[in-house]
This record gives sequence, C-alpha cells and structure tokens, in this order.
Amino acid sequence: MGDFDFAIIYNNIPFLFEGMKTTLLLTVAAVIGGIVIGTVLAIIRIANVPILAWIAAAYVNFFRSLPLILVIFWLYFLVPLVLGRPVGAFSSVLIAFVLFEAAYYSEIIRAGIASVSSGQVAAARAIGMTYTQCMRFIVLPQAFKAMIPVLLTQAIILFQDTSLVYVVGLKDFLVSAELIANRDQKLIEMFMFVAVVYFTICFAGSLLSSHLQRKLST
Amino acid sequence: MQYNWDWGILFRDPYIWWLVDGLKWTLMIAMCAWVLAFVLGSALGIMRTSINPYLRLIGTTYVEIFRNIPLLVQLFLWYFVFPELLPEEAGRWVKREMPLPGFTTTVWALGLYTASRVCEQVRSGIDAIGIGQRNAGRAIGLSEAKVYIHVLLPNAYRIIIAPLTSEFLTIFKNSSLALTIGVIELTSMTRQIEEYTFQGFEAFTAATIIYSLVTFTVMGFMLHLEKRLHVPGRIVVEK
Amino acid sequence: MIHLKNVSKWYDSFQVLDNCSTSVSKGEVVVVCGPSGSGKSTLIKAVNGLEPVQKGEITVDGMVVSDKKTNLNHLRARIGMVFQNFELFPHMSVLENVKLGQIKVLGRADDASEVKAKALLDRVGLADHANKFPSQLSGGQQQRVAIARGLAMDPIAMLFDEPTSALDPEMINDVLDVMVELAHDGMTMMVVTHEMGFAKKVADRVVFMDEGKIVEDAKKDDFFGSPRSDRAQLFLSKILSH
Repeated sequence: MGDFDFAIIYNNIPFLFEGMKTTLLLTVAAVIGGIVIGTVLAIIRIANVPILAWIAAAYVNFFRSLPLILVIFWLYFLVPLVLGRPVGAFSSVLIAFVLFEAAYYSEIIRAGIASVSSGQVAAARAIGMTYTQCMRFIVLPQAFKAMIPVLLTQAIILFQDTSLVYVVGLKDFLVSAELIANRDQKLIEMFMFVAVVYFTICFAGSLLSSHLQRKLST
Repeated sequence: MQYNWDWGILFRDPYIWWLVDGLKWTLMIAMCAWVLAFVLGSALGIMRTSINPYLRLIGTTYVEIFRNIPLLVQLFLWYFVFPELLPEEAGRWVKREMPLPGFTTTVWALGLYTASRVCEQVRSGIDAIGIGQRNAGRAIGLSEAKVYIHVLLPNAYRIIIAPLTSEFLTIFKNSSLALTIGVIELTSMTRQIEEYTFQGFEAFTAATIIYSLVTFTVMGFMLHLEKRLHVPGRIVVEK
Repeated sequence: MIHLKNVSKWYDSFQVLDNCSTSVSKGEVVVVCGPSGSGKSTLIKAVNGLEPVQKGEITVDGMVVSDKKTNLNHLRARIGMVFQNFELFPHMSVLENVKLGQIKVLGRADDASEVKAKALLDRVGLADHANKFPSQLSGGQQQRVAIARGLAMDPIAMLFDEPTSALDPEMINDVLDVMVELAHDGMTMMVVTHEMGFAKKVADRVVFMDEGKIVEDAKKDDFFGSPRSDRAQLFLSKILSH
C-alpha cells in the first residue's frame, strides 16, 4: 500500500468526470422515465382496467424475474435490429433501464397509493370529484409525498445499477476508470477510487433518504 | 426488420448443452452465495438488534459499506484488487492456484453483498415482533441467546419469508454479473450462442424463459412454505 | 422479599423514577397505581431488571438486581411476570408456552414440565385449550395462560404490569378471579393496576405514584379511608366516579 499512486487519479480527473457525467445522465433519465411509466402501470393496476390491468401485472412480474444484464443485452441486440440501423449504446441502454426500472417503480408507487387511506377517496368522491380528479389532486400528491424516501432509495439502487453498462462497453464512470486502470496498470488505485466515489455518493443519498423518512413520520 | 428465424438452433447439439451447462453454473452460484448470505446476514441482523452497542455498530457499519458500493465494483475489488493486498504467497494462491477462481470469487462477493440485505430483512422482522416479546422471554429467565433462538428468530423468519425469497431471487439474477469475470453462466452462454450463430433472438428468448420459469417456481415454493409454516389463527397479510 | 431503596432512572435527561423506596414482604400483595406516565410500569420492570436503573438499590430475596455480578436470568426465573399485552409466544401452542421456561431455563424433563403445565392450565380454567395457538384465544384467556406461564417457574413472587388494561370489560373479571385466588394462596404479588376493586379485596398495601415519585405508600384501609395527598385524592375521585 506504500506505493499508492494518487497522481494517476489526479491526472485523469477530466476523463473520469466525463464518465461520471454519462453515469449521472443515464441515472436521471432512467429515474424520470421509470417513474412516468411506473406511475401509468400502477394506476392501470389500481383502477383495475380490464385486460390492461392484467397486462400491466404481467409486465411487472416479467421484468422483475429477469437479470438486468440480460435486459441490457436484449435491447442492445434488438434496438438496432428494429430500427434497421446501428444506434449508440447509450440509447439502447437507456431504453433497457427505463423498461426495467418501470417495473420496480410501479410496485413502489402502487404501495404508495395504497397507503393513502380509502377514506380520502371517499371524501373526494363525496364532494363530487371524478376518479381522475381524485387521483390527480387528492391521492397522488399524498402518495408521492409519502414515497419520496423510497423513491430516493430506488434512485440510489439505480445509480449503482448503471455500472452494469460495463457489459456493453458504454463509457460510464466505471468503464472510464477501468480503461485507465488497464492502460497504466493501476488496478488497485482505480478500483479503490471508484469504490470510494460510489460509496460517498450513495451513503450521502441514503442518509438523506432516512432523514426524509424521519421527517415525514413525525 | 431483416432476420432469419431458426428456433431449432436451441435444441441442436452443442447449443442445448451450453444452455444446460449455463443454468447449472447459475444455480450453483446462487445457492452457494445464498448459504453464505443467509448465515452471515442472520448473524448481522442479530447483531444490529442486540442490546450491545458495539455489536450494533459493527452490524450497521457492515450494512452501510456493502450496500453503498455497486455489486459489480465489489466483484472487481475481490477479483482484481483483493489478491494484490494479500501477502505475496496467499495472493499468488488466490490468483493462480485457487480452484474455480471466477466461481469462488463470485460466490464470495455475491454472498457478502447480499448478507447486508438479508441483515436488514432479519432486523426488520425482529423489530416488528417488538420489545414486549423480548421482555417476556427474558422475564421467564431465558438468556439473551435463548431469547433469540426460541422466541425472536422463529417469529422473525416467519414474517420475512416473502422478502427473503425475493432476496434469493435477487441473488439468482445477480449471478449473471459473474460473466464479467469470465464465468460461463446462463447469460454468458446465451451471449456466446448469439456470437457463434447470430441467432440472438432465439438465444435471449431461451434465457428469458429459463430465468422466468425458475423465478416463478421459487415463488410457488415460497407460497407453499408460507402456508406450511403458518401459525393457526394469525391473520395472513396480503402482499 | 423485594426491597427498593432510593431508586432513580433517567431516559436521557428525562427523569422517570425519582428516588423511589418501597418493599414487598413475603406473602404480601402490594398494588401500585397512579396516572399514566407516572413511572409505575418502569418501576415494576426495574424489579426483575428489565429496566436498568441508574441510581439506588433493588434487592430480591437477598440478590442485588443492579449488581453486575448477579445472574439476572437466574433471578428472573424465580420471579413470574405478566405483561399488559400478554406477550405469549405466537409460534407455540398454549401448552408449549407454559413448558418453554421449565425446559430451557429450569432444565426440567419434558414429561414433568408437561404434567406441571397441564395442571396450571387447569387451575386457570383453560385445560381444554392446551393445544391451541395464542391467537386462537380471547385476550382474557391469553392473559390467564400468561399467568400459568409465570407460575410454571415456581416463582417466589409474581409481578403484574397492568394485566387487565388491554382487555375487553367482560374479560377482566376472569383474570382478576385468578389473581385473587393466587393472593389467597399466599403468593407474594406486586401489581400495577387501576382495578381498585381488586386492591380493596386483596391488597395489603397500596403505593401511589405521580411524576416518577412514590407519593403515598400506605396500608390499604388508610389509603382508601383518607389518602394524605391531594394528588391521590384527585386520582381516586376520577377513577372511582364511574
């Protein structure tokens, strides 16, 4: 450990930063896409729309039974085939993450909606609101507020999961670090650095999440 | 979309045996890692609920470290970095002479990582039982260890059968990460079939079906187990 | 048998017990009452060391509870305790609940503990329910099993922490009847309760607590005849008015 080479990190900060930008961009885009589709899936299931509710449930259970890596491979293979032309790894990976995460987000959102008491729905309907109004103005705002810590936790998991783009060689934070590690034979330094960076970000996120949890429960 | 379908490829020699072999390694990684995760995770869960503040601190530190670093990074740390940090002799053994290095490292990394998640489940189960049961056990003179063995754990495990099953399924799915360090498990095998035959659609479909089937089988087994261990008179909480 | 001397306890900076002293002699029944939050539940849990105290001394049958060298498990095995929420072990049958401590703590043989357990279940009127699980019983029945579980250890004293306050009104008497019988049999008892009827019937002394202090510690007749403190008078008038 005596010859731990900090310079290798210092000298490559711009390159690593580019990688981190890809990681963060992928995370944010996948969180937004996942929440949007997840909400739609959750509402379809809760509203019990015939056939559609069954399809939504099948979608969720199907994606939850698959490894993320396999889904990444699927889309990496399928997207260019469907479009008939090569596309960048980023697009196909992003689609994979959105489709995959939507299944998990939908379960979180469904639980959040279920946690709003049925008395609230009854009260909203009693003053003449439609189902959509009731969802939009009464149930979803309460549900999302209660869900914020869990959604944040899931975002942290997603942030960690983006490292799996390694399997298709997309230059995220981990792959950038690995390129340097292999080029300069500095595996110890680079992987340790990667671990510390991920840990710092995720630990801060989980502290924030449990802080919000406490704040909401009081 | 231009594509030459050939579903028969999946049942042809040698590809069908590749799939079987891949599934075998996937299941072996999952089960070995699960044993490690379950035993260590339970021990950590007990530590995190213990009355001893030092044990609680050890448990909390472990959980925070292992759940806040991506699993893939942990795998690389164990595979590439850990041997370098060992004394020379041991490091060489881990790198060159240890049998099945990829498999062993994956089991180790996956087990240690999932232990932090199992720990949280065990802790939430014990917390859900509440201080009253602990006091009742202590009040009849049971030692701290016996309170856990006879009162807290049997109840906690019953409560968390469903979450523990999903942790097992998570291990099963996460075993696919082994392909990054050269273990030819199921996902890796289908990738290989795609590269050899260019029949990616068929290969990935096969893997998808196999993963789903195993998942739904395990879920079915879990429901059966939950019913069998059900304590009469208790209300079953709908999932 | 049970002696508390100048006992104080704090949760962080909040004082829950303030210099409490009292005692329970062999064969005596002492009722502890007071408004909620007065510390009575903490006091009774301190007797068998479930709630550690920071100051003062508690001795039970000559053993010092707060002494680190005292084997608390050994001590607890000799004192029965009954909780507000019964706290039967939900994964065991009624019979197994009463046997567990005998086998795992006292090291009694399985058949001997079974005989004892059945006899005690018979005594609390639940012999027919031995093979049921706790959640299949009513609250009153569960609490009587909990009493049997405590008695199975051949205790030198029994502690009751609000044994009837989680029960529906129609079940309270079933539990109180068992406790009255125990008192008549000469059991040493310390009972936290609001059931003043029970206190009038079998208590030897009544301890009244408020804000962590023992405000009154008097013979039963003195307490009900003319409580000395205003707080106790107010408490009694509130509790006896309905």
